[in-house]
Amino acid sequence: MDYANSLYLTGPEVFLSVSGLILTLIAAWGGQKAARLSTILAVGALVGASIITAAFLINPAFEQGGDAFGGLYRMDAFGSVSKLLIYLAGIGCLIVTPRFFDKGLEYRPEYPLLVVFASVGMGMMVSATDLMTLYIGLELSSLSSYVLASFTRSDDRSAEAGLKYFVLGALASGILLYGMSLVYGFSGSTSYLAIRPAFEGTLGTGALFGVIFVLAGLAFKISAVPFHMWTPDVYEGAPTPVTTFFSTAPKVAAIAMTARITLDAFGNQADAWRQVIIFAALASVVVGALGAIGQSNIKRLLAYSSINNVGFILIGLATGTAAGASAMLVYLAIYVAMSLGSFVAVLMLRDKDGNQVENMADIAGLSRAKPMIALCLAAMMLSLAGIPPLYGFWGKFVVFQAAVEADMVVLAAIGIAASVIGAFYYLKIVKIMYFDEPANVVTGKNDLAHWTVLAVTAIFVSPLGYLLTIPMGALADRAAAALFAVV
Amino acid sequence: MVDLSQYLPILIFLAIALAMSAAFVFLPMGVSRLTGTHNPTANKLTEYECGFPAFEDSRSQFDVRFYLVAILFIIFDLEAAFLFPWAVSLDLTGWAGWVTMMIFLFELIIGFAYAWKTGALEWE
Repeated sequence: MDYANSLYLTGPEVFLSVSGLILTLIAAWGGQKAARLSTILAVGALVGASIITAAFLINPAFEQGGDAFGGLYRMDAFGSVSKLLIYLAGIGCLIVTPRFFDKGLEYRPEYPLLVVFASVGMGMMVSATDLMTLYIGLELSSLSSYVLASFTRSDDRSAEAGLKYFVLGALASGILLYGMSLVYGFSGSTSYLAIRPAFEGTLGTGALFGVIFVLAGLAFKISAVPFHMWTPDVYEGAPTPVTTFFSTAPKVAAIAMTARITLDAFGNQADAWRQVIIFAALASVVVGALGAIGQSNIKRLLAYSSINNVGFILIGLATGTAAGASAMLVYLAIYVAMSLGSFVAVLMLRDKDGNQVENMADIAGLSRAKPMIALCLAAMMLSLAGIPPLYGFWGKFVVFQAAVEADMVVLAAIGIAASVIGAFYYLKIVKIMYFDEPANVVTGKNDLAHWTVLAVTAIFVSPLGYLLTIPMGALADRAAAALFAVV
Repeated sequence: MVDLSQYLPILIFLAIALAMSAAFVFLPMGVSRLTGTHNPTANKLTEYECGFPAFEDSRSQFDVRFYLVAILFIIFDLEAAFLFPWAVSLDLTGWAGWVTMMIFLFELIIGFAYAWKTGALEWE
């Protein structure tokens, strides 16, 4: 085993880990005062990790990727593309955070530190080609997330969100571990490369249970129905910047990890896991669309929206083809932009004292008080609803196209029907903002960081985003091909 | 049939351990009875468990600092649990294993420094 090469291939994680350790010391000695500095350094660390990842991606020497640490970790185009999404989402979430805590809420240097450690874990998750590496990455990111969810300690709802997330997350980890132990028992290995040939032909009942348990644990992490029940509570209770983070980076990581384990490790048993994924996809799409209708809290509504979107992403995975995986990645990229944009827009809704506004009734007539925020939020909502010419339409289009090409017309048809139901509540928000009597609650000012993130994401989901279609499609195709090249 | 004879050393070890621990418990009891210092009072007869009364409503409140100490204890106790298998297999893992463990210990020291500096180890 060549250690220098292994360390080189795990460059983004090594760099982020070292940065995380330095940030720990800064947090200990700098205390409360170092919070801003710590945030800036953490953003710098994530930018550095993105540059290393991008360098791998454009380096022709790594066209085929490479294995590190004897097959525990694999650097390839799929992992690199997912990591870029994760790091960019992390950067976007970090730069809008400090302002949120200005209003009497304690901001501490541990916050960016936890985001950095979560990013290390998520990088491990998407690159793991062994159940052990996968589990360690998953736990590193989950444990950081539990703390982040309850970061505003004085707020009861935040504490409840953290506790709920922790208890249910631990349960899901247990289910996942149980599944892994069965998979290991019936295949004799924890490595994806060895599990794949071991699971050939008819799958025994025990091994099948292993696969199902692993999928159940993963479905919890991506908050797919029927393991979604924690999502609305955690999204509502956690501080809004944390919710922004939860709905973007960990989602990408968990979905990419699911794609790799299903397509690589369980690749010979596509019929077994595809049934589960198809069910989860359809159930998520429908429950996400129906559950959001009665909500009066914007964050809760966006939580259901994210469940709904996970369903569409899983439709891409359910095809089990390279085209489907590529469509999944394109949708993920667009989803991250839409989710980041909508939550940042929600973060910018402040009353005259600078307090967060979360109720739907309070944003009535927003178009007159804050036309720009209303415009961007409306663009996000219409894009989430998949209405052309906004970019969200393209994500849905490629996913349904992949489903139709894989002879899953019924799946695509139900997905389209559910997205029409979903359009109802997205349009309701637009209607409240533009046509209702102004409530004049949202009057607070915002800083440059929020406007920057909002502008970038809004331009991405606007029709201008279509300029990126070709390069993004090519990149997603390459990433998806890397998943299938292992075999 | 599994050949159990190779496990004789552990059997002897367990037998000696059992004998010794029995001696530690019963020897003082016997000695105190024989020498006349046997004087059971109410406090001596109560169960002892980490300083808490053992039979009481389990929903009683206790200082959250116990919890913090317990978590720190677990972290550094687990470190020792990792060190044992590492130590006996060092001839197999070689320098790579040694360096890896040193990196692990270094990271733990940074965590320890953080806990110390932020006052997690101070009771007041």
